[in-house]
Amino acid sequence: MIKTSELIKIFRTDEIETTALDRVSIEVKEGEFVAIMGPSGCGKSTLLNILGMLDRCSSGSYQFMNEEVSSLPEKSRANLRKQNLGYIFQNFNLIEDLSVFENIELPLLYLGIGSQERKKRVIEVMEQMNIAHRRNHFPLQLSGGQQQRVAVARAVVVKPRLILADEPTGNLDSAHGEEVMELLDQLNKAGTTIIMVTHSLRDAEYSQRILRLFDGQIINENINRKFAL
Amino acid sequence: MFYSYLRSAFRSITRNRFYAFINIAGLSAGIITALFLMLYVWDELSFDQHNNKYKRIYRIESDFTISGKHDRFALAATPMGPAFKLEFPEVESFVRLYADDNIRLSYENNQFTEKRIFYADSTLFSIFDHTFIYGNPDDALKDINSIVMTQSMALKYFGDKNPIGLSVQTEQKRNLKVTGVVKDCSSNSHLKFDGLISTVTIGNAIGTERFNSMEPVAFWNLGAYTYILLNENSNIQQIHDRIPAFYTKFMEPVGKQINASFNLMTTRLDSTHHREHLMGDLPTGNKSYVWIFLGVSVFILLLAAINYMNMATARSSARAREVGIRKVVGGHRLQIMSQFFGESMLLSVISTIIALALLFILLPSFNQLSGKELSYSLMFKPFMLSIIAGIAIITGIISGAYPALYLSSFEPMVVLRGTTTKGRSSKGFLRKTLVVFQFVISIIMIMASITVAKQIYFLQNKELGFEKENVMICELTDSTFRKKAPVMRNELLKNPHVLEVSTSNGIPGSVNAISVVRVEQKEKMQDMALNWILMDTSQVGLMKYHIIMGRDFDPRMGTDAQKAVIINEAAARKLGWTDNPLGKKIDFDIELDGTARYHTKVVGVVKDFHYVSLHNEIEPLLFFLQDRPGYYLTIKTDGINNQNVIDHAGKVWATLGSQNPFEFRFLEQNMLEMYSAEKKTASIFRISGILSIFIALLGLLGLSSFVTERRSREIGIRKIMGAPNNIIMRMLYREFTVLVAIAFLIAAPAGTWLLQQWLANFAFHIPISWDIYLLSGMLALSIALLTTSWHTWKAAVSIPAEAIKYE
Repeated sequence: MIKTSELIKIFRTDEIETTALDRVSIEVKEGEFVAIMGPSGCGKSTLLNILGMLDRCSSGSYQFMNEEVSSLPEKSRANLRKQNLGYIFQNFNLIEDLSVFENIELPLLYLGIGSQERKKRVIEVMEQMNIAHRRNHFPLQLSGGQQQRVAVARAVVVKPRLILADEPTGNLDSAHGEEVMELLDQLNKAGTTIIMVTHSLRDAEYSQRILRLFDGQIINENINRKFAL
Repeated sequence: MFYSYLRSAFRSITRNRFYAFINIAGLSAGIITALFLMLYVWDELSFDQHNNKYKRIYRIESDFTISGKHDRFALAATPMGPAFKLEFPEVESFVRLYADDNIRLSYENNQFTEKRIFYADSTLFSIFDHTFIYGNPDDALKDINSIVMTQSMALKYFGDKNPIGLSVQTEQKRNLKVTGVVKDCSSNSHLKFDGLISTVTIGNAIGTERFNSMEPVAFWNLGAYTYILLNENSNIQQIHDRIPAFYTKFMEPVGKQINASFNLMTTRLDSTHHREHLMGDLPTGNKSYVWIFLGVSVFILLLAAINYMNMATARSSARAREVGIRKVVGGHRLQIMSQFFGESMLLSVISTIIALALLFILLPSFNQLSGKELSYSLMFKPFMLSIIAGIAIITGIISGAYPALYLSSFEPMVVLRGTTTKGRSSKGFLRKTLVVFQFVISIIMIMASITVAKQIYFLQNKELGFEKENVMICELTDSTFRKKAPVMRNELLKNPHVLEVSTSNGIPGSVNAISVVRVEQKEKMQDMALNWILMDTSQVGLMKYHIIMGRDFDPRMGTDAQKAVIINEAAARKLGWTDNPLGKKIDFDIELDGTARYHTKVVGVVKDFHYVSLHNEIEPLLFFLQDRPGYYLTIKTDGINNQNVIDHAGKVWATLGSQNPFEFRFLEQNMLEMYSAEKKTASIFRISGILSIFIALLGLLGLSSFVTERRSREIGIRKIMGAPNNIIMRMLYREFTVLVAIAFLIAAPAGTWLLQQWLANFAFHIPISWDIYLLSGMLALSIALLTTSWHTWKAAVSIPAEAIKYE
């Protein structure tokens, strides 16, 4: 599903040049659950942003579903994004002015899906995430765990093939964190590919494969023991 | 999708009530000001266009040069209309109107003095559009002694009943039969009347032959507002081209005799209201005010839009995350821009609705202020509705354009990471520029308000060269009663509060006699047209005109009546008599055959005084002694008990058997009325000024809240390091003070230039002095600092630990 080779990302300011990713070549197959780990500043989020087509690499190649996307124009990338990808963030990134229902509905609106269909799908996913009773609440009225469930619901409502999660439990207590990880696990089992950045080994345990990054390079790739043959 | 935008916009408004309030209040204030000024402008620009044929109707005006004196009149001579119809096939029809601004009419016990009566040709209703309630437009003004009234006038005399066939009576016992009742004249008609009397009535009174005379001399006597209606396919230039031949045929003989020439001027009906001032014209508007108000309304709207822009971009960091999320979940830039436009549009529509509601409440006050008669129905005319919609849409677009472009440009991953610096440095510069622009406008508005007010104070209080205080004026309209003026004088002088009583045919503010006189020049006597006043021997003393050379008229000198003239300094200068004008000769009352009835000599020179408004220079003026009582009776009182004098005069008036009630006004009031247009303008300026400052302040209030919020962490750290409150406040004030200072540096020269243009309307005006700059600069600064004080103070006294916790 995903294949990168020799990905390089350099951040430039007036005085300094920082190499955030240094010749990263990875492959992720459809249906995999991959965790990316490493110390702060090692380039995990940068890699995730590039894989999520939210940022561009400085050089190298990135193929998504066998299509080279590193040089695609922004509009095509946006189209690929909204049809295939779902995002989950550490700080949830819900829009405070929109209710639970409306937050989840947002990607469907941008996909131009009709109102009946939208309603049906949002209700379906809210029930799946066990947040239907909160549909008219606003993010600030919810607990962190509930907010992240809304964020997950928003990510899956378009039925994406790939979910990118950036430290999804980073802002949650362990009980709520586990709840979210269980959700991701279920999604993965249902066939969704997941790439997750995390600091937590416990969370990484849910994945099938762990990529370790250090100073922008992949230094290690372990197959999770659980899944090892 | 649209619903979703609308919903977001509503939420954004309700969540951020403070900012929403500032935006809505600012936009509403801007829009209502713009709406009022637009209404004013629209009313001014649509004058007379309710007449269907207005594009074919022209007013004939006269441009005379008589013995070197050049004058332009709104009037034309009586035979001009008929002669045009005869000579020019392009002229389909014509109508003449003779103003009578003082006619007393009665019906049974109802008696009124009418100020807006015209004698009019019967063709009037086929040229101008008037709606008849009773009567028939085709023959309403055909017969002698017929009168057409407006609805209001008819109501005054006859109540609700149909007055057709009933008559009103003049003081001369002439019965005028009502032949028509029309709706009141449209408020934006330059030719407003209450009643029209048939012109054949004049012919009947003075002799048809004389009235219809086509003799050359008749073409040199002005009298009528004359309008011609051109044929469908003709144009006015065709007539102008043939005027030389017309002149030769009809006017030349007399022109040669009196050393005069004539030029035709014409003005299309819809331009008449804004025609530059002509002598004898009906009340006109001032087109420069139309442009000024249009400019002011655009600027005020811009101020309000800038508030919105500033507030939206200042809050961009708060909105950045939302933009990022929307982009991540699939929103295109265009969709996000639409959302922000939706918000500005919604606010603009809400503000327009509020402004409209306020407009309905405030329209009567605006009418009072502006002297207009705008009606509510005007708001529903398609043109006005499109203006309102236009204002709402344009305001929404201008306000939303920048925030939409700016906010939608955020890169999602940058803003979600929370490292955006957008909305801080470079955009801070733009925001500051916009604030400076707002203050430039506000300071100019303050400068304008102060300057206009000072100029009006100057106009009202300038030493005019005579004493305008405690002078009562009565008009002796009835020429029979006028003969009793000497008796009245004697009776009034018995009152201890009456200092002097006099009559004349001209008083300051109402000097309108001009004619050709023959003056002594180096080699020979020369004809020249000059202004003059006829007066009795008490007038100079009563008015306290200063005789600076020679003497006043002397009742003991029997020859003064025939042989004395007093001139003003301007006349002495104009005639080149700078050394010693005393004894110089002036022949007065020149007949057509060239002989003069009076041969006078200058006995005195009076110091120049302002007998016309301060818009104009002081022109040469001559005083002659009258041989019978003049039109104006002037009573000088000691000012101690004017009511006593008024009561006394009223009794004397009645005792002497006047048919009319005793009516009077004070000269001071008369002089003030000359500046009523300026006073109205001043009020509109003052209010627009206050509103523009109000809008700018709302913006500043929002911005100061943002700035202190943004710097709260810095303030916290500084306080921990030991900075006292006053240093913190000074630091925050400095930011705004610099902005106001820059604005002042731009506004001062720009405002000076603009105000100089306005002041150029007055021959006598104030200078734009340092106090105007000082006052407007200080006012802008103190208002700005006061506005920002609340947030600044709150920031300065905040608990540092709290502040650092934020961000």
